Amino acid sequence: MNAILPALSVLFAVFSTAVPWGLPADATFILPLVVVMMVFCWRALPGTVLPPYLAMLLGLLTDITSGGPLGFWALMTLIAATAGGRAPSLTDGRDLGRLWLAWGGVACLVAGIGWLLASLYFVRWIDWWPIAFGALASIALFPVVLHGLLWIRRGRLRPERAALYRR
Amino acid sequence: MRGGHSPFRPRPRRSWRAPGELLNFTLYFLCAVLLVLSRIGHGAVGDVRDRFVDLTAPLLEAASAPVIMGRHALARARSYVGLAGEIDRLKAENEQLKQWEWRAKSLERNVAHLRSLLNAVDEPALHYITGSVIADARGPFLRSALINLGRDNGVRIGYAVINGDGLVGRTVDAGASVARVLLLNDLNSRIPVLVGQAGVRALASGDNGAELKLDFLPDGASLYLGDEVYTSGSDGVLPRGLRVGVVTGSPGAFRVRPHAELSMLDEVTVLFFDTPALTSTDPPVVPLERALSTTPEVIQEPAPVPTASVEPVPEGAPVKHAGAADGAPPGEGVAQAQR
Repeated sequence: MNAILPALSVLFAVFSTAVPWGLPADATFILPLVVVMMVFCWRALPGTVLPPYLAMLLGLLTDITSGGPLGFWALMTLIAATAGGRAPSLTDGRDLGRLWLAWGGVACLVAGIGWLLASLYFVRWIDWWPIAFGALASIALFPVVLHGLLWIRRGRLRPERAALYRR
Repeated sequence: MRGGHSPFRPRPRRSWRAPGELLNFTLYFLCAVLLVLSRIGHGAVGDVRDRFVDLTAPLLEAASAPVIMGRHALARARSYVGLAGEIDRLKAENEQLKQWEWRAKSLERNVAHLRSLLNAVDEPALHYITGSVIADARGPFLRSALINLGRDNGVRIGYAVINGDGLVGRTVDAGASVARVLLLNDLNSRIPVLVGQAGVRALASGDNGAELKLDFLPDGASLYLGDEVYTSGSDGVLPRGLRVGVVTGSPGAFRVRPHAELSMLDEVTVLFFDTPALTSTDPPVVPLERALSTTPEVIQEPAPVPTASVEPVPEGAPVKHAGAADGAPPGEGVAQAQR
């Protein structure tokens, strides 16, 4: 189950974030970043399996549903998978703060690369605000998504949450 | 937080990780290649993506149904709040509209009289089809929407897409059952428009923001805030007279606020407006079957779309221009362009 659940949950998220939620134009970067964040979290959680190639495939699916150029979200999920694999493990560190900090760094990196790639793609500087807003929102949403994934994995949150905040 | 630990401190490594690192590098390289191929518009990449879009369309449609229902429920709940004030506003608006109705009928009689004096030929009506938005684009690249109408319903690349408020965009991809609509505010969207009562020509360009830029205004053009902006039809792709929005901003930096709420699209209507320019950009013969670039000729039996309000227009059928009705009732898919 630990091998299937991460991929299935991210797949569900890919389709869920593609539907028309009616978000304003400035918020369009948030939903795909949730997918990227989920990849990061699953890779950081011990005992779960989400290989980078699978993360990339899910990113490609995000590219397909989003209508953007193929490879963009695949690259973003790949970066998140790499960073998640190297992030402090919750078992080792038992520290939500450090993992949150790590995601902050990854979100900034993904946003910066995304803005640069999009600017290169259109050969003009594109508006950076929606991307920055999306990155900030994803950093704020990180604990919610992490707790959601822990709940998905165990069906209950208590032991995992205790581990998260143990010093 | 514990001190002395780097957030990116690696876990204990296995003794041999070279294959994993090599695989990672290969994946990054593959992403870069895909991005480059997408940028140069390689046909194979586009075809593969289009096939997958068609495959995932039913899933997206199923997933979007509850979300759209939820949005409707939320909108209804909001409308219940302040219902008394809304009724008062509607009563006042109704009074105003009655006066406008009388004036419109009077003008209609005048126009009919003048047209008869000029022996003017009635402009044929425009066929259309209505569908739902099943996915919208996210990310820094596109402002687009996926609709549940495709070539099986007669939709082709380049058709104008409107909703009850005004122009929404135009189709840029059309598969068997889905089509992608490039929204007005997309970075690649350029719409030739007429502004105000004087009909000043300009180009409304998207910049991924909520409003459009108004470019190529003639020197000395007099524009006023609140002026209506509508399509000029001079590109030979969009019908003339579709409502786009109103002028906002300030002199020297005029912008257009679209009438349609582009981030809250739900039901949209595709106008069948074929022109020579459109035929050259979306030729009728394409080899790939049931991909986004296929045409109605290769599809044996066009399947009706439940949400469509009109039967599919057969290939070769006369495409009608906006304007006066040709006798068919509006409910059967014939629309006035100026809605």
